[in-house]
Amino acid sequence: MTPAIEVESRESTPRWLDYGAPVLTILAALFVAAIPLLWIGANPILVYEQIFLDSLLDLGGIADILTTATPLFLAGLAVYIPLKAGLWNIGAEGQLYVGAIVGTYIGLNYGVPSYVLLVLMMLASGLAAALYGAIPGYLRAEHDVNEIISSLMLTFAATTFTGYLLRGPLQGRGGQTATDRLPAAAELPTVLHPRLHVGVGILAIAAVLGTLLLTRTRLGYEITFIGSNPAAAKQAGISSYKIYILVFLIGGFLAGLAGIIEIAGVHGRLFESFSPGYGFTAVAVALLGRNGVFRVLLAALFFGVLTAGGTTVAITMDVPNALVDVIVALTILFLLTAEFITEYRLAVTVGGKPDTGSEPSMEGST
Amino acid sequence: MSIIAGTLESTVRLATPLLLAAMGEVIAERSGVLNLGVEGMMLAGALAGFAGAISTGSLWLGFAIGMLAGAALALLHAVLCISLKADQVISGIMLTLLGTGLTTYFGRAWVGRNVDGFDQIALPLLSDIPVVGQAFFSVTALDYLSLGLVPVIWYLLFRTNVGSEITAVGEDPETADTAGVPVFRIQYACVLLGGALAGAAGAQLSLAFTNFWGVEMTAGRGWIAVALVIFAQWHIWRLLAGAYLFAAIDALSFRSGAVRDAVLSGVDIAAVESAVDFLLNPQVMNTYPYIMTVVVLWYVMRQGNLNELGGPSALVDAYSREQD
Repeated sequence: MTPAIEVESRESTPRWLDYGAPVLTILAALFVAAIPLLWIGANPILVYEQIFLDSLLDLGGIADILTTATPLFLAGLAVYIPLKAGLWNIGAEGQLYVGAIVGTYIGLNYGVPSYVLLVLMMLASGLAAALYGAIPGYLRAEHDVNEIISSLMLTFAATTFTGYLLRGPLQGRGGQTATDRLPAAAELPTVLHPRLHVGVGILAIAAVLGTLLLTRTRLGYEITFIGSNPAAAKQAGISSYKIYILVFLIGGFLAGLAGIIEIAGVHGRLFESFSPGYGFTAVAVALLGRNGVFRVLLAALFFGVLTAGGTTVAITMDVPNALVDVIVALTILFLLTAEFITEYRLAVTVGGKPDTGSEPSMEGST
Repeated sequence: MSIIAGTLESTVRLATPLLLAAMGEVIAERSGVLNLGVEGMMLAGALAGFAGAISTGSLWLGFAIGMLAGAALALLHAVLCISLKADQVISGIMLTLLGTGLTTYFGRAWVGRNVDGFDQIALPLLSDIPVVGQAFFSVTALDYLSLGLVPVIWYLLFRTNVGSEITAVGEDPETADTAGVPVFRIQYACVLLGGALAGAAGAQLSLAFTNFWGVEMTAGRGWIAVALVIFAQWHIWRLLAGAYLFAAIDALSFRSGAVRDAVLSGVDIAAVESAVDFLLNPQVMNTYPYIMTVVVLWYVMRQGNLNELGGPSALVDAYSREQD
């Protein structure tokens, strides 16, 4: 008799798995990422120590973490909120670029007092990106066009078009593929440290507003209802049409905000690859933080630590920056595995079970 | 005429990676598995193919190693999405991230080296035909291979039992399973084949196009291949046409100055000139494949439903056997 192994759905997820899974996931990713580090002769312990501990010990390191976590969190919410309604926004990267383009244009061309200008830039960036983001939402609501594909395609349209703008209408006087530097009035002021811009405040604001939206408002209720049970939501008279467009509007707004904060707070000018794929890492952020806005924030901070630390070890220890991409990818990989473990379990029956006749291959020796 | 001949020649070379990768993606998607990791698998194929060719001294061995690298990444996707029922969108994005990260990380050692890539093989007589002869009949073995694969894969998918089984799995895995079709085995095979073809597409880039390895050298071609599958509505012949159309746009964008002058010769209206300037700008032209894909999606869906679009009904849904 051979043991028969079958996959069953769990009726409920044990508590330790619910909390332990994300932590185990990250540890597993770091463990496997040690292999490429050893390959190039680096000491993984020293590298991780520098990424995760040393950066937390000085203000510059914390500034880098917070400023990196800011676009990651906003873009993460841009994925997370549509996901709550059951839709994939894979286009946060493109929305981020649209926001950055519009905001930079306004910052370069309107000579109004700084606080007016900054508010104007944020609003215009958010609105432009919201409209751009709403295209996949509208196409899904109106014609049932797959939003994964359309949001993805529009991302590449936007990033490629940015290349055109930076070689044409928006090109700066220096002749590089970048805009001119923003005037001082259009740059976010810094506090405590020259690299810590006030834009990081949006981390707290968005976390609170996002939680309130999803847990305390009728709209949030409708979003989660549609996401968890579209058929029942329809029965209850909730318009998926309206919700599908709204979640993409909100998502686009947040991603656009991420774009202009990154420009006005960190780079001071728009150039082609100003975002190291924040909009794509955002998918991982939303997934890692799937169960609540504050978990999305924690995920964004984790990836913030990783990205900022990756830049540091690239300089100090000559570890290729691509290590960060590898760790992010491995984190997603183990997260998907962990999800399987939390949702299914392996039922091992020794001695065979009554033959259902449907699985001849599982029968082993005869 | 030299613009036309030159454009045609680069169109063929540029179409090959798109065609190879998109044919692989069609096979995977027709079995119900969306793989957004094409860009990552292509990069893996490009680096592994290049490193393999230099290490073994054989271009064909390198090419095979490139295909294996693509298939290896695809295996991860298959395990996650088919066996572990993970979300296909996330897993695919993970794959692209992993492929980009790993090739950038390990590719550092191979930057700055060159390989004597695949030579052009001129077919006697055919290559002497004016204009098209040079473009189509004096190309590398990989270009011929990609064109030769088109009817083979069309036949496999639409004229064989295996093809019908693949379609059945992609349309309705449960019914296929009941009918005795090995759902999981077919999905695994399709995803792996898709990965191997993406790897081949990458290896073509480093071994027959640039003849060197460069970080992120696929430059978004993997995403264009994903777009192409939808643009072609999962049909092989439309895929062939689409690959050549997208490649022609790319080829023209390299020569946009000459094309612009040709279009505008004799025209003296400022508005027309600036409009043409805009539309023929290389970067603007590079957005066309993406925009055209969205427009096709929109247009077809406006008329009807996914069945008319030609997409597999069970795409993106992980199939899970009900035990009770």
